[in-house]
Amino acid sequence: MTPLTAVPAPSFDIERVLASIDTMAAQKPVAAQIVSVANADDTSSKKLAAILATDVALAGRVMKLANSAYFGMRGRVTSLQFAVTVVGFTTVRTMATVALTDLDDESRLPEDFWDLTTTIALSASTLAPRFGERPQDALCIGLLAQLGMALLAHNDPEGHAGLRADNPAFADLRAAEVQRYGISALRLTAVALEQWGFPREMVSVLNKVEEITAPEGSLLRAAFEVAGRLTLEDYEPIPISRLTCGVLGEEALPPVLERVWVEAEELRAAMIG
Amino acid sequence: MDEGRTVAAEPTAMIAGQPSPEIVAGIFYGAAVTDMMAILVAERTAGTTRVTWGNQGAVKLLGYGVEDLGNLPFETLLPTLRGGELKLLLRRERGTQMNLPIRTASGATVDCAIISTPMPSGRMWTLRVVAGTNEQERALRATADAHERRFSTLTERSPIPMLLSEQGMRLAHVNDAFCSLLGRRAEQLLGTSWLDAVHPDDLDEVLESAADALEGGDGEAKARMVREDGTVRTTVLRFAHLFTPGVGAGFVGTIEDITDRLAFEERLAHQANHDPLTGLPNRTLLAQYVAERFAAGRSELACLFLDLDNFKVVNDSLGHAAGDLLLVEVATRLTRTVRPGDLVARFGGDEFVVVCEGVDEAAAVTLAQRIGEALSAPVRLGGVDVRPHASVGVTVQTGEHVEADELIRDCDIAMYQAKAGGKGRITVLDQQGRAQARDKLRLVADLRDAIERGEIALLYQPIFSAGDGAPVAVESLARWEHPERGLISPVTFVPLAEESGLISPLGLLVLDETCRQLADWDAELGMAAPMRANVNVSALQLDENLPVHVRAALHRHGLEPCRLQIEITESALMADPTFAREVLQQLRDLGVEVAIDDFGTGYSSLAYLRHLPVDCLKVDRSFVAELADGHAEIASAVIALAHNLNLCTVAEGVETVEQAEELARLGATFLQGFSLGRPMSGPEITTWFAAHRETLETPTDPELPR
Repeated sequence: MTPLTAVPAPSFDIERVLASIDTMAAQKPVAAQIVSVANADDTSSKKLAAILATDVALAGRVMKLANSAYFGMRGRVTSLQFAVTVVGFTTVRTMATVALTDLDDESRLPEDFWDLTTTIALSASTLAPRFGERPQDALCIGLLAQLGMALLAHNDPEGHAGLRADNPAFADLRAAEVQRYGISALRLTAVALEQWGFPREMVSVLNKVEEITAPEGSLLRAAFEVAGRLTLEDYEPIPISRLTCGVLGEEALPPVLERVWVEAEELRAAMIG
Repeated sequence: MDEGRTVAAEPTAMIAGQPSPEIVAGIFYGAAVTDMMAILVAERTAGTTRVTWGNQGAVKLLGYGVEDLGNLPFETLLPTLRGGELKLLLRRERGTQMNLPIRTASGATVDCAIISTPMPSGRMWTLRVVAGTNEQERALRATADAHERRFSTLTERSPIPMLLSEQGMRLAHVNDAFCSLLGRRAEQLLGTSWLDAVHPDDLDEVLESAADALEGGDGEAKARMVREDGTVRTTVLRFAHLFTPGVGAGFVGTIEDITDRLAFEERLAHQANHDPLTGLPNRTLLAQYVAERFAAGRSELACLFLDLDNFKVVNDSLGHAAGDLLLVEVATRLTRTVRPGDLVARFGGDEFVVVCEGVDEAAAVTLAQRIGEALSAPVRLGGVDVRPHASVGVTVQTGEHVEADELIRDCDIAMYQAKAGGKGRITVLDQQGRAQARDKLRLVADLRDAIERGEIALLYQPIFSAGDGAPVAVESLARWEHPERGLISPVTFVPLAEESGLISPLGLLVLDETCRQLADWDAELGMAAPMRANVNVSALQLDENLPVHVRAALHRHGLEPCRLQIEITESALMADPTFAREVLQQLRDLGVEVAIDDFGTGYSSLAYLRHLPVDCLKVDRSFVAELADGHAEIASAVIALAHNLNLCTVAEGVETVEQAEELARLGATFLQGFSLGRPMSGPEITTWFAAHRETLETPTDPELPR
């Protein structure tokens, strides 16, 4: 059982947290527009590039990501439209969401937030084929998985910091979050992405992470595990086989750990500039 | 405007922007009774949220009775919403949408999209529930899944290595054939790691081609792939654009392993460019090699042309197998003797060429000497020790060389000069030798052109009867007037034609033109036309084709065979008397006469002469000239010999009346000489013979020979 944190329970209003997202959208209309149109059936790379071009910072990040080791293009992407083509609409939308929710402002986030986030994303992407999932979807969901945690930490900085300190294991932290806020950060992420119309398949992955017997959540559980082992001090590993319903064995992890470790910094640089 | 109609419409229209109560009631009734759409009303009272109303659609979807539905706790309906999460769905200030499993009366859960709309009170919400997956969607998904499985099965079991990217260069899928090709596991290749297997020098091309495919085109790249064990396979990667709606651009790649094909092609190319016996580069490769290194105006290359001396003797005496062994041994010795980097090629037969870079003439000659020494060691062939020797021609590149092949040609010339100077020699082609050779080459080319264009003219010299001085025949004499060099003597151009393979066309030209002219004279002069024309035939023409050509020429111009006399030199007959006899007999059988030219100057065997089917001996002009000095012995002997063999004689070079009279006295049959009748053109002969017919009919000219 997770011990109660020493920080007193806040007058925490989940509705206020959600309302803050609406406020953010209003403050960043270009990002909001991209989030809105990126997955529409009639959206083309040309159209998306045209909208993206009006946000120089965001466009720059998409270009940087397209030329990163992750997409393997090694500086060959010189036009924004081709960059959109290469990284894909969902990734552009993910980057716009990151910008929209101020996740690109490290000063407002828990320490090491992006180290953990990029390793979760790369781990999910790298392991995706083993789970029959598309790597790019896994990358996006990995990049956005901690959105809810950022929201909680932003609205209750001290309280959430205390929870994180007391619960180094991800499952423990999620239980503590439910106890303190009535909702876990991961679930909050799912709700937010649902609000923005991200594909149902992507969102359902988030909803299944906490059910350890649910195969749909296996990939993200494994990604969290790899990220924990790579980024957290004194992290106590959980057997990967248990987390993945037997899909992965420990022998599968060393090459993944190595590759993620090498690429994470570049992805972080592309995502937050 | 009809106001009455306007007023009458108002009760059912909107009042101040709001629908009328009648419309609201209609909509409410429709929503309440429809089972096409599930609608619930939720209310929060005293900290609990309950369903307070549901329409027919909700009753049908959830399976509860209307009464049971009316007081249903929300946590019963939405079991996955825990703790404070209900607030996420039921927000006061705005509508929301969530995808949630909803529990039905039977306990089963149905994935639904729930759209909630708050009412102004802030305590009640309208919820529209849409079952997430209807039959059509399930069918579409099943079809899509089936497509996916078919594609997966196809690619996984295909023997063709395949790779699939759904986005950028990153691979989402590789098949077993691709893994086998690279000797790596799938997880080592997925993502961008497959690029690590591309040879670094070929990576750019692969990336460019894949980028083309990502942009909507097709791409192809030839690239070496490095296997896990370090071995390299050469492949062709073909990329095709792949677009996944809502995701982005990727590609499907297929890989063809062309390593074995290239190796096979290389073997074929090697076979095409190398001599199968010695393994040395052949003439084709030699030409390429020299051409690649040749730069006009520089002095970088030297060529040595070697021709084995007496190789034919080895072949004829020890057999071709021994000859082949000797060639292989020579090739081996050459390869060992030359400097590293020099090329040794087999030019053909027993000819070899060595090409060196960066050597002067002295060094090239030194190398030629070293080769000569290396070759001269004995080789045991068929129990016999053979010491190979070679004639070597050396050429060092000079400013005179404009084309690469001139180098090979020059050392070939030098080799012939070496050969002509005696075997086992080394000759360097100098400036004078090169100039002579080139001059000769040009002349041969000009002669070829002259023959082809029919620019070889014929002159005809009259032949007289020694008895009555009447002109009876002519001898055809070929004349070549070079457009720049003027008249070129047959002494020059006939041997040239013989050396360069032009003697046959030249001989045919003379034969045909003579026959044509004879036919013309017949037409113009009738009985006064020359009875016969003598045509000289080279020794090289004396083959089985000669009678065929002669018969064809006679036939072409409608002449009797007796109108031709073929003159063949004595030396030509003696080279192979048996064969010569056969050919001459065939000519005789045709009805053509045969004469031996320059009789007495060679080494005729009188015994053979008796059996040779000839009609006439031509007494050489040197013997006729001796008459003036009182020496009539040889001329007399030849005429007597002919007489005894029942042959007629033609004395050549008759220059004086005295000579003519003496020869007639000795019994010569015919006379021929410049003062008697100079060589003339066809038309001139026409006039000349016409004039002589009249003269003979009324003999008044005391100058005419008797």
